[in-house]
Amino acid sequence: MEKPLGCLSVSGYLVTILTLAIIGGLILAQGGAMFSPGELNAQNAAAPLGGVLSHAELQHNCGACHTARWQSSTMSDQCLKCHTQIASQITDSQSLHGYLMAEQGTTCYACHTEHNGPDAILTVMQTENFPHEVVGFSLEGHAQFADGASFACADCHRDGVAKFELAACEECHATLDAGFTQFHVAAFGQECLGCHDGIDTYGADFDHNQFFVLEGEHASGTCGGCHPGMRTMVEFQAAPQDCYACHAAEDKHNGEFGINCEVCHTPVDWEQATFDHALTNFPLEGKHSNVACESCHQNNIYAGTPQDCYTCHAKDDQHNGQYGTDCALCHIPADWKQATFDHNLSNFPLEGEHVNIACEDCHQNGVYQGTPQDCYACHAEVDEHNGQYGNDCAACHTPVDWKQATFDHTLTAFPLTGAHNSVACADCHQNSVYAGTPQDCAACHADPVFHLGLFSSVCTDCHTTTAWSPAEYNQSHTFPFNHGESGVSACTVCHDPTLNTYTCYGCHEHTPANIDSKHREEGITNYTNCMECHPTGREDEGGHGD
Amino acid sequence: MQRSNRELWLALIAMLLITLLYLFVTSYYSTIPSASGFFGHALGIVGFILMLLTETLYSWRKRSRSARWGRMASWLRFHIFTGLVGPYMVLLHTSWKFNGLAGIVTLFTLIIVLSGIIGRYIYTAIPRTPDGIEIEAQQLSQQIQALEKQLQQITAESDQSTREVARRLDVLPRTSGAPLLILLGNTFYEWRYRQQWRTEKRRLNAAARAQADQLQKVFNRRNTLRRQAQTIANARRLLALWHAVHIPIGVALFASAFVHIGAALYYATLLR
Repeated sequence: MEKPLGCLSVSGYLVTILTLAIIGGLILAQGGAMFSPGELNAQNAAAPLGGVLSHAELQHNCGACHTARWQSSTMSDQCLKCHTQIASQITDSQSLHGYLMAEQGTTCYACHTEHNGPDAILTVMQTENFPHEVVGFSLEGHAQFADGASFACADCHRDGVAKFELAACEECHATLDAGFTQFHVAAFGQECLGCHDGIDTYGADFDHNQFFVLEGEHASGTCGGCHPGMRTMVEFQAAPQDCYACHAAEDKHNGEFGINCEVCHTPVDWEQATFDHALTNFPLEGKHSNVACESCHQNNIYAGTPQDCYTCHAKDDQHNGQYGTDCALCHIPADWKQATFDHNLSNFPLEGEHVNIACEDCHQNGVYQGTPQDCYACHAEVDEHNGQYGNDCAACHTPVDWKQATFDHTLTAFPLTGAHNSVACADCHQNSVYAGTPQDCAACHADPVFHLGLFSSVCTDCHTTTAWSPAEYNQSHTFPFNHGESGVSACTVCHDPTLNTYTCYGCHEHTPANIDSKHREEGITNYTNCMECHPTGREDEGGHGD
Repeated sequence: MQRSNRELWLALIAMLLITLLYLFVTSYYSTIPSASGFFGHALGIVGFILMLLTETLYSWRKRSRSARWGRMASWLRFHIFTGLVGPYMVLLHTSWKFNGLAGIVTLFTLIIVLSGIIGRYIYTAIPRTPDGIEIEAQQLSQQIQALEKQLQQITAESDQSTREVARRLDVLPRTSGAPLLILLGNTFYEWRYRQQWRTEKRRLNAAARAQADQLQKVFNRRNTLRRQAQTIANARRLLALWHAVHIPIGVALFASAFVHIGAALYYATLLR
């Protein structure tokens, strides 16, 4: 490089030094005001803040607001030193400044610009991103006018964004719907922001049906009718939706039907009630379907209406109370006359021939109560036994058929056993005479001739009812039964079948020849009656030697 | 677009595009872009860098005879281009506020641009080679004589109608009056001279028009050399004077601009 640049020449250095010197002098003289991009705001505050009434008084004191990077204090800190009221708001996150600075980390100068002249507006915000809901009113429902045009700040803030006249709401909304607006203001007042937070879109798009279907009389009601005194969204949405909450005072039933009015009534008309009696404990059937409500529910009293028949139908009781009060045992609501009494539910179930006979056969003259249940009360006159068997017919007879009597002789004092079971009744009870029938054997069974009067009249001493023979003799017997080595096993060992005779021949060595021989040895010739000399069967009993 | 004024046209197009972008941003935000905003800062930073390039690159190249990076004429065109576009962007950066030091810097910028425009015409009044080396008076005279011979030869070979045109337009440029006015007024003279030729050539047939085009180029070069020969002494004095004014203003401008940048960083950019 052969020649230096002009700025690096002597003159260049001189000019540079001169320029910097002039600037430095101005800084010393004006305190940095030469760096100011514009004049500061000169609008006076109501009272001094930080010792000044306006920013313009700080025109030459840049350090009052501007801090160096290396200083601990920020520009916002400098602002808050004077604007102490804002400093106190920052601690409240619900406040605008608290939200913007504490929550969003926004600086003061992000919204409040300076150096725009003495009369310039200090608050210049990026309105597109301004969190308007923080000031208590969201712009969600005010993005566009009805014609699609976008909202501008000045549409609501006619005197600057720092001010808001409530009249702006009413005037604007009156252009949309003057009638409704007038009515609404009259009903709820002009403090729009007391109820509306901007999120609720109770305009043309609002559909009340998504919360509570407005139909019938509800559609023509006023908001305050259901939302009396309500001012906030929470209050509106907390409005009770059950009928009784609003209509309790109109309840002609005095609460007897509970609080679920919709069970019978519709919003169309109270009078057009359609009560479904089937939902109650007393569904209406038969004749009950056609009677007037008042017939059962007198004086509009519904709760506690008795459900038993007799309470209403006592006057209709043709049985004069004989059947008690439970009419439903026989009758149905369809028709009184179609009574279907179930006799089986009574103490006298109908069986056999009793099923087919007419009621009057037993219940004469319509008298049912006290009807005797014993057979003889009705059947005494047809007793073929003439009372001999008492009056407990059921002991032998069943209602199925009189003739199919099945007398249980075991229940008598003379149970039939053995051969007695197979003999005909008339064999013992001649001429149908049953009472007094002797029970001793001899009354019927004469002592056989062959007994020769040897036995007593108590047949059962030897015989059983199974059969006359074999009989077992257990009475005294002259001749010992243990005669011989093995004893005597049967009467016929010694006796003939008629027991009229006996013989000793045939046993042991008692052959006629042997006996004859032995007796002759002793000189005994009359020995035909063995028992005369040997009553116990012993040989030495004869007295003649053995 | 004339080859000799190409950088002016390019600068004009660039400024037009920047203006359109500026208007779009202004319309989009419904406000003039502030100097401290993103767009305003971008305008200021880019504009200042172009001004720095304007100040340094051409001067370095002009003084660095050993480093032959590009022809001096090209560097001059780049110098003119950045010297117009850069200040224009800085002007837009001001957001049309001219308070304090920033306003002074803007004022210096405008002065230096106007000074540069004047300097351009003073500079071009001195005959130079394409590499920017000044041509001495003797060489200049020889070149003029050679061009005169070339004109005679071309005229002799031309049609009668072309010769008539050459005779009518064979006029010398104005060389009397104040030197600065002569230098600045030359542009107007050259424009009027080109109109005269255009008018004359419309009357010629195609063959004669081609001869006239050739003659016009030689006439232009000869006239330029003649003008330079007649004004070279004044031009050199004016150029020295211009340097004496232009350079200090430029130095003051950049000194002020750097202070402005430092203050902007301190008071705005680095603000917490």
